[in-house]
Amino acid sequence: MTPAGPDRNHMPDDPPPFLGSWRRVYAAVLAYLAGLILLFWAFTRAFS
Amino acid sequence: MRPLDWIVLAVTLASIVLYGLYKGRGSKTVSQYLLAGKTMPWYAMGLSIMATQASAITFISTTGQSYVDGMRFVQFYFGLPVAMVILSATAVPIFHRANVYTAYEYLEKRFDPKTRALASAVFLIQRGLAAGLALAAPAIVLSVILGWPDRLTIAMMGALVIGYTVMGGIKAITWTDVQQMLIIFCGLAASLVMAIRLLPRGVSFVDAVYLAGAVGKLNAVDLHLDWNNRYNLWSGLVGGAFLALSYFGCDQSQVQRYLTGKSIAQSKLSLLFNAMAKIPMQFFILFVGAMVFVFYLFERPPVLFDQTALAKPEVAARIAPVERDFTVAFEERREAGWRLIEARRNHDAAARAGTLARYRRAQRALDAARQRGARLVEQTTGQTVNDTNYIFLSFVTRYLPAGLVGLVIAVIFAAAMASISGEINSLATVTIVDIYRRHVHKSASDRHYLLASRLATAFWAIYAVAFANYGKTIGSLIEAVNMLGSLFYGTLLGVFALAFLVPRVRGNGAFYGMLAGEAAILAAFKFTGISFLWYNVIGCLVVVATGLLISVFENRREVVR
Repeated sequence: MTPAGPDRNHMPDDPPPFLGSWRRVYAAVLAYLAGLILLFWAFTRAFS
Repeated sequence: MRPLDWIVLAVTLASIVLYGLYKGRGSKTVSQYLLAGKTMPWYAMGLSIMATQASAITFISTTGQSYVDGMRFVQFYFGLPVAMVILSATAVPIFHRANVYTAYEYLEKRFDPKTRALASAVFLIQRGLAAGLALAAPAIVLSVILGWPDRLTIAMMGALVIGYTVMGGIKAITWTDVQQMLIIFCGLAASLVMAIRLLPRGVSFVDAVYLAGAVGKLNAVDLHLDWNNRYNLWSGLVGGAFLALSYFGCDQSQVQRYLTGKSIAQSKLSLLFNAMAKIPMQFFILFVGAMVFVFYLFERPPVLFDQTALAKPEVAARIAPVERDFTVAFEERREAGWRLIEARRNHDAAARAGTLARYRRAQRALDAARQRGARLVEQTTGQTVNDTNYIFLSFVTRYLPAGLVGLVIAVIFAAAMASISGEINSLATVTIVDIYRRHVHKSASDRHYLLASRLATAFWAIYAVAFANYGKTIGSLIEAVNMLGSLFYGTLLGVFALAFLVPRVRGNGAFYGMLAGEAAILAAFKFTGISFLWYNVIGCLVVVATGLLISVFENRREVVR
């Protein structure tokens, strides 16, 4: 009773489908978060 | 509910069950049943992760929370993308390469059997309680709003979930979660459109946003650091990140979702999709609540939305003065609201400042009357008032047209079913993999374990229904159990942090570290007023520190020998 699929011990960490490397994808996600917080902060300031 | 609502509800629920049975067919091995044969694409896992996290009560109460407290709850999710990035870089490849069914199975490979057993027990206790209440909470609200017998609602939700979960396993659950999320998005969008369309003539969308913001309902970001304030930027970023790390990294109900991925990359993408979609989704739900608030600026709301509380004879006899004050405050606020719109349009700064003060005063008077009403109910009946949960559904059932009411009730069912199915499936997986196969029956056939998994799933579903029937009688227990979850997560996060990040720590360090972490969290809960979001940080740090200390002593002892 072991999970199916290829040999997981040597499972490759495929590159992401965009931005070339996972580091860049992670940086993009964190930049997106920073952008959202900034946007919400501006929203709060504008309407409160 | 009108006939069209019943038709929409019945068709939606039937389509969920049938789709689940269809997608779950062919789960003939344990690997297919518990991990979908590791074939799932990222978007299905990502939506399933979101659906499992969004329980019905979260959905119902988030809109109400915005009505009462504004949008600051969105900050609770600010740490989530940070956690998703950390987990994508650490937990996802480690769990995939360890070739495990459960996160706790990995702990035995990394540490020892006792650490795995302790973590599994912590999960079963915590998630077992939560599963029952995930059924009970929406049933209580629906019974009050629609007058349905709550036993019937609980049994109906339970029966629907058992159907496709027992037969189709995680494949059925994941694909129905996708469908359920689409239904939830449709219901939310329709509610927002209706809340705006129902505003009186002469009130534009921009006016509505302005009126909500003027009394602090659009307070999405609070920069002030306050340890006892549950929702600010800092508690959201740090505390929220630790909570999300615990939930998505150590809770089997979530780990199992991304273990079904066909590759490490697909699993990472599913978490990162969640990182990007979750905050806008929560913002949207909270914004719906803010617009419902604006709707009730022009339409008199009840003092309390939980009408059963007000209907009790002993409350009804004493509520008249509160109702009177409430009506006066409402009329004053409505008048001030109209004048404020006028002043804003005319760019009249002096009139605007004066009217704004009047509008805010009226809002405070209205809030005070509501609080007096809640206190009256609590003093008279001895019951805790949790009116937030009733605001949104009360609006939906009273003001939305036929068909849409059925759709929104279907959304509540879908959200409840999505989270419950994920929970019972993960409870069954831990029961079979970490308890039954590890300690009771070590070497049976795949067919035997498949049957055992199906029986365990049915057992946990029946348990959830039974516990929900018990749990509904003690309403305040819902809050207690939510708190209970946060009492355990820090410890689980700490042991996984040791496993992933500190190679020198071994079994004893991890096991006794967990015990010390749990003791620290319980002490913080019992003796301090620290907000529960910080328990995860405290527990995790104590586990890591204790584990490190023990490993230092162990290593020294070995050197001396």
